[in-house]
Amino acid sequence: MRRAARLQLLLGLPAVALIFVFMILPITNMVEMSFRTPGVTEPFGNDYTLMHYGRVLGDPYYWGALGRSLLVATTVTVLCLIVSYPVAWHLSKADGLKMVILYALIASPLMTGVLVRNFGWMIIAALNGPLNQSLLGLGLIDRPLRLLFTQGLVVLALVHVFMPFMVLPINNAIRNISPSLVEAAASMGASRSATFRDIVLPLSFPGIQAGVTLVFVLAIAAYVTPALLGGQMVTYMPTQIIAELTGTFRWPLGSTLAIGLSLTTLLVVAVFTLATWRLLDRVRA
Amino acid sequence: MATVEVKNLRKQYRNVVALDGVSLEARAGQMVTLLGPSGCGKSTTLRCLAGFLEPDGGDVRIDGESILSIPSNRRGFGVVFQNYALFPHMTVAENVGYGLKLRKCAKSEIHARVVEVLRLVRLTGLEDRLPREISGGQQQRVALARALVLKPRLLLLDEPLANLDARLRDEVRWLVRDLQQQSGITAFYVTHDQSEAMAISDMVAVMKAGRVAQFASPREIYQRPAERYVANFTGEANILTCRTAVPAGETRMRVGVGGADLEVDCAPAARTAGDVELLLRPEALRLAGPDDTAAFRGIVTKCAFLGASQHCEIELPDGNILKLAAPPNARVVPGESAGVVIDCTHAWAMPKVPA
Repeated sequence: MRRAARLQLLLGLPAVALIFVFMILPITNMVEMSFRTPGVTEPFGNDYTLMHYGRVLGDPYYWGALGRSLLVATTVTVLCLIVSYPVAWHLSKADGLKMVILYALIASPLMTGVLVRNFGWMIIAALNGPLNQSLLGLGLIDRPLRLLFTQGLVVLALVHVFMPFMVLPINNAIRNISPSLVEAAASMGASRSATFRDIVLPLSFPGIQAGVTLVFVLAIAAYVTPALLGGQMVTYMPTQIIAELTGTFRWPLGSTLAIGLSLTTLLVVAVFTLATWRLLDRVRA
Repeated sequence: MATVEVKNLRKQYRNVVALDGVSLEARAGQMVTLLGPSGCGKSTTLRCLAGFLEPDGGDVRIDGESILSIPSNRRGFGVVFQNYALFPHMTVAENVGYGLKLRKCAKSEIHARVVEVLRLVRLTGLEDRLPREISGGQQQRVALARALVLKPRLLLLDEPLANLDARLRDEVRWLVRDLQQQSGITAFYVTHDQSEAMAISDMVAVMKAGRVAQFASPREIYQRPAERYVANFTGEANILTCRTAVPAGETRMRVGVGGADLEVDCAPAARTAGDVELLLRPEALRLAGPDDTAAFRGIVTKCAFLGASQHCEIELPDGNILKLAAPPNARVVPGESAGVVIDCTHAWAMPKVPA
């Protein structure tokens, strides 16, 4: 027993060490940084203050950035869920070669580097890019649409890249639903839509919850896509944070913003988890 | 109450023939069991009846009308699954009431009917439990209640007792039979357990490689099997190859076997068959006492004391081996010679069919 306990500790040690060095320490450091006074010649001063929190909470500019980030992340999550569910359903019904091909297609957005992918979107969405050319050619529009540097394009690009994180957990959850449950529902008179509403959808909820959490957290923290496709006119929380840290070199202020974003994310995820607790508790196997 | 006719049902998966012309019928209120080893097509037949599978050919008629074009959710059949298939996120009452809710019954009516059917399966008080909070036997009874509450035209049970332990199996088996008879619902029951099949059915279809080897009452299946396969599947059987066999009267034959010449009842097909086999159930055989005239004499090769009886094996001069139960205190010694008396009313001649 003692040996087994020691072995467990030993096995867990690398992970604990990793988390400590690369997560606990940096976060502690960041929290400390957020209380520093501003520096004159350096990025931060030597004394401690609450002024950054006061400034961030009191400035509508930062609230605007946070609101935009929340809106984009929520939109991305909802669209991702709507687009991904049918894909996940098909994937869960596939086997053999079809399954392998589908998995590869679904994972494909992740196989392209982040810069290449976003420059790809820039080319596609450009005023004389292929998307506008096609729409013009089809006669659907009279003049090219301004797509680049819009929130819509940011949302589209984020839905594209985060879809795998929604599809895979939902696919897993649907695969775990015994086919006999669907047959049982049918034998009791349930139509296909009733079976979906009453059986498949609730039982796939663990996958939905995992997917929604993953995509929301990834979307609200996304930096490269909003920075490249969102243009200079609007700011999002992550772009603002990076601007403070590497542009204006106001590290304490940047840290305060980062903590604000983290806490907001944590709050949203916690509220979502608690709100769906009852349902999840029922469907856990 | 519904009569069911299954006619020449066929189903093929890629290159495997699952159903090779299955024909059966159930009269109103009957319990028909599909009995056979795994892969014989019994579950496939049931799934075709339920509408979960579409057969490639043949027909299923209920009260004379074909139902194959009706989707499973409009057939109005109750189905009980081997793994129970209870909805894990619904309570016992919600599971049982689900079909009624789909039929837009009033809440008060749903409640009343759920309470009533749960009383029938003796689960009163468990209404608000989730399936994972009750035992396997209770789950199976919920599954049964869920099927019965809709007053189905036909009840389909797919190995409903296979996941239960022996004691529960016995209990639930009688419950199934009682409820089926009380409600008068025509039922199909799939199992690989012959004692289960014998005990609860009006008719048994013994299935073999996608076909019905014999469709008859449990008594007939046991006492007058059509062939060796059926005899072996329905209980302990001594099957002896006959040296000679000649018809003797309408339904009887004279067979020469194991050094004896017997006149026995026979399957109609045995009268014209090339080779004939003789079935002797253990209860047709008795160890000969001093005053008996033994039909067979042979050498005891094995003897095991079982408590209430002794299991003996006796080798006959022609190489056939007889298994029988001897009284617990009879003197049976391996290596010695022993006589066996046959009760010819329990003997049965059947045609030898290639396996």
